[in-house]
Amino acid sequence: MSTNYFNTLSLREQLEQLGKCRFMHLDEFSDGVDALKGKKMVVIGCGAQGLNQGLNLRDSGLDVSYTLRAEAIAEKRQSWKNATENGFTVGTYEELIPTADVVLNLTPDKQHTAVVNSVMPLMKEGACLSYSHGFNIVEEGMQIRDDLTVIMVAPKCPGSEVRAEYVRGFGVPTLIAVHENNDPKGEGLALAKAYAVGTGGHKAGVLMSSFIAEVKSDLMGEQTILCGMLQTGSLLCFDKMIEEGIDPGYASKLIQYGWETVTEALKYGGVTNMMDRLSNPAKIKAFDLAEEMKDIMRPLYNKHQDDIMTGKFSETMMADWANDDKELLGWRADTAETAYEKTPATEDEITEQEYFDNGILMVAMVKAGVELAFETMTSAGIIADSAYYESLHETPLIANTIARKKLYEMNSTISDTAEYGCYLYNHACVPLLGDFMKNIKSDVIGAGLQLNHTGVDNARLIEVNDAIRNHPVEAIGSTLRGYMSDMKKIV
Amino acid sequence: MTMQHLLINVSDLTVEFDKGFRCSNINWQLFPGQHWMICGSNGAGKSALAAILTGAGDIDGGYITGVPERIGVVSFEAQAELIEAERRKDDADILDVIAEGTPAGEIIAQVCKDQTLADKLCEQFGLTPLLDRAFRKLSTGETRKVMLIRALTSKPQLLILDEPFEGLDAASLAALQQHLLSLASHIPMVIVLNRLDQCPEFVTHIAFMQDGKLTQQIARDDHDAYQQLTQLMHLKTTQLTLPPTDIDHTLPELDPAKPLVQLKSAAVKYTDTVIFKDLDWTINRGEHWQLTGPNGSGKTALLSLITGDHPQCYVNDIFVFGFKRGSGESIWQIKQFIGYVSTALQWEYTVGTSLRNVIISGFYDSIGLYSKYTDNQRDIANQWLEVLGMRDRADETFTSQSYGDQRLLLIARAMVKHPPLLILDEPCLGLDDMNRQQVLSLIELICARSDSTVLYVNHHAEDKIVGVENYLALDSL
Repeated sequence: MSTNYFNTLSLREQLEQLGKCRFMHLDEFSDGVDALKGKKMVVIGCGAQGLNQGLNLRDSGLDVSYTLRAEAIAEKRQSWKNATENGFTVGTYEELIPTADVVLNLTPDKQHTAVVNSVMPLMKEGACLSYSHGFNIVEEGMQIRDDLTVIMVAPKCPGSEVRAEYVRGFGVPTLIAVHENNDPKGEGLALAKAYAVGTGGHKAGVLMSSFIAEVKSDLMGEQTILCGMLQTGSLLCFDKMIEEGIDPGYASKLIQYGWETVTEALKYGGVTNMMDRLSNPAKIKAFDLAEEMKDIMRPLYNKHQDDIMTGKFSETMMADWANDDKELLGWRADTAETAYEKTPATEDEITEQEYFDNGILMVAMVKAGVELAFETMTSAGIIADSAYYESLHETPLIANTIARKKLYEMNSTISDTAEYGCYLYNHACVPLLGDFMKNIKSDVIGAGLQLNHTGVDNARLIEVNDAIRNHPVEAIGSTLRGYMSDMKKIV
Repeated sequence: MTMQHLLINVSDLTVEFDKGFRCSNINWQLFPGQHWMICGSNGAGKSALAAILTGAGDIDGGYITGVPERIGVVSFEAQAELIEAERRKDDADILDVIAEGTPAGEIIAQVCKDQTLADKLCEQFGLTPLLDRAFRKLSTGETRKVMLIRALTSKPQLLILDEPFEGLDAASLAALQQHLLSLASHIPMVIVLNRLDQCPEFVTHIAFMQDGKLTQQIARDDHDAYQQLTQLMHLKTTQLTLPPTDIDHTLPELDPAKPLVQLKSAAVKYTDTVIFKDLDWTINRGEHWQLTGPNGSGKTALLSLITGDHPQCYVNDIFVFGFKRGSGESIWQIKQFIGYVSTALQWEYTVGTSLRNVIISGFYDSIGLYSKYTDNQRDIANQWLEVLGMRDRADETFTSQSYGDQRLLLIARAMVKHPPLLILDEPCLGLDDMNRQQVLSLIELICARSDSTVLYVNHHAEDKIVGVENYLALDSL
């Protein structure tokens, strides 16, 4: 196994890389796609990201084709169909890679080592290799040929949105980075910028980051708040509701769609808006619960961040990869056997507001998880912008997967890296919150507060509102969401 | 007809809809044996009145009783909802694969209670060969047929058909009319129609909506009242002038000697089907065209080869506005020359922006507005709103407008820059008589100008445009 790239750097270099993150302004993209004009771009992988990015790049006047494994072409697999029906040239690695000026690796993380090892010898002198996630470079320490330029362009939305926004004449927020060890001609940034323009990303905002900042923040976000907290929260809340005599079908539905509903409020107006959806007494209750949970869970978030920084996490996970995913598959099977997973949701309607009113604990968990993940990342040297995208921004996206098909499906469909981290978190967090959950009753999960009067103390409400609104994730969030909507509603 | 057989009773009902639209103080009684047509101008509340029968909206006063349990509904809203639901079901993003979606046959089977009838209708509508294809991949007319078959085969006790005839080719239209006639003896129907000339023979009563109020209810055989209603529907055809375009918004010069569009043996094919092939077509400047063909013959696919919205434009021999497609041009360089309106565009235009911005977005070829516009562009948009009679609603939200009003706005968006090529794919779908006349007049005005070439798709033989002299008919393959 190769050595972890991050660990080969000095502390000074590590901090410098982690701290790299800058919101770029529209006028920095005045060269458009010029840097890629006339160059041959070859995409590896034709899934949702691969296909939709390719469609955008071609519509921006760039030369795009797809390379697939010979078997996928011979058997006319779905990926082959996707590319051909959309009018793209498709060829094997041997046919297309040697002609490519830019190779876009848009395959799943886990395949990166194999894919890069097979394409690298075929790549022409001085070409560019592009990633959408830096795990392979940073954690697996993949060594790329010295003559090749290595960049990253990562749209922060699912593939279909990448396309839909482009077609509208807009784009999605995008993160770009250059791997400084592999920028022999100093053209990495120009290429990454042109690529971002080609997908429409520049219109919605581009974050200039580093491979390291991307990986270390992405891993932290996905295993704690994004997947881990939602998994732990689902299991704890469901079991508590059953214990409290809530109808199991109702409990199952409240959780399945509750995460999506409450985080939708988060997407529009941050933690503040999500909390504002609660009545005043419920808001104060949720605030107190979140504060309590943050104190309990802080050491766990720190441990996750530490293990990610030292490379212990990726080392453990890669050992399981080498062991045919034994742990991962076992944990996945265990999730499928949980009471929550096995209880079908009721057909009865739950109104949008009811998800908030009867899901106070869930709101508190989202608040605690988002803020803790953000605080932990920023205190580890990750810039607030990155930390925001990898915590608050992506939570609604993952919540949406639970709404579709509950936990088992969420876990089998997110990346294996996220899933592995999610289970680690869950195994530690469930017992950690054991004592806390003993004091929880159905008033905060399942039945609502059911108060006869909703009066609160003014001073206390002001104090709680201030604390919510002044959290650093709210400041950066409103700035970044502001950029997005400024551009959307430029008028 | 006696009172004790009263079927549905709507009494002093006021209903508020999500979009903020209100139907107020509706008094309406439907008796067995009656079939109602609801008419009125765009935005008057025709669809809303029909939707009240399905339980839509929040009741703010009055009551409604007697609504049967099983109602078959066909409407653009229901169609759009189903398409949106299919889009949401798409797991592509999570799985990072491209999902195919539910086959049309399965969409029908979800509600079908009479498979024999479904088979027969599919055959008559020419839908049988498409049942295995994903619902989302069907053309506009084809999804419409799926909706109709769902409604007709669900053993309905009441049929609510909102513009059932729009977007159907001639053969399917005849089959549908005949089938509805055979149902008339035992299933009550409420049909929303924009055009009085489409009113089926079996309709016994007509309800006229105005500003969310049910202002007239007449029996079909009351000739005087019917005559008055016809006049009312045709009232106030204004003196039309085409607002100017933005002089500061200049396009690159086009070579006058070259055709605007040239397709050589064009084809659109998927692994399992060929939509069309071997199609040669040249559109010269000032040569206005009408394109016809049955549902599914590939009209929309053909147009989107020209607009660049179809990905296979890159594997065809296409020359547009001086560009050979796939030679390094961007899609925005193509779109700047085109004004475009279609049903698909309307479904995609789900952006919560103002009516004025929708029109201005025509200058930027965007769905939603993401650019800073000029004062002049704002003025022009206001003039268009004046033409549409929507000046006082300029700042309302597009998505909260009725289907017909949205359509009018998108037509203005397509025309606002006086584009060298104006593509109108069934522009009058969902428009009432008056607005249809108005839109046709606008198209004629545009045709008469030397600098816009019009490409027009339409099913209605009666909607002929003066100035359109070239015809291309696509056959069903």
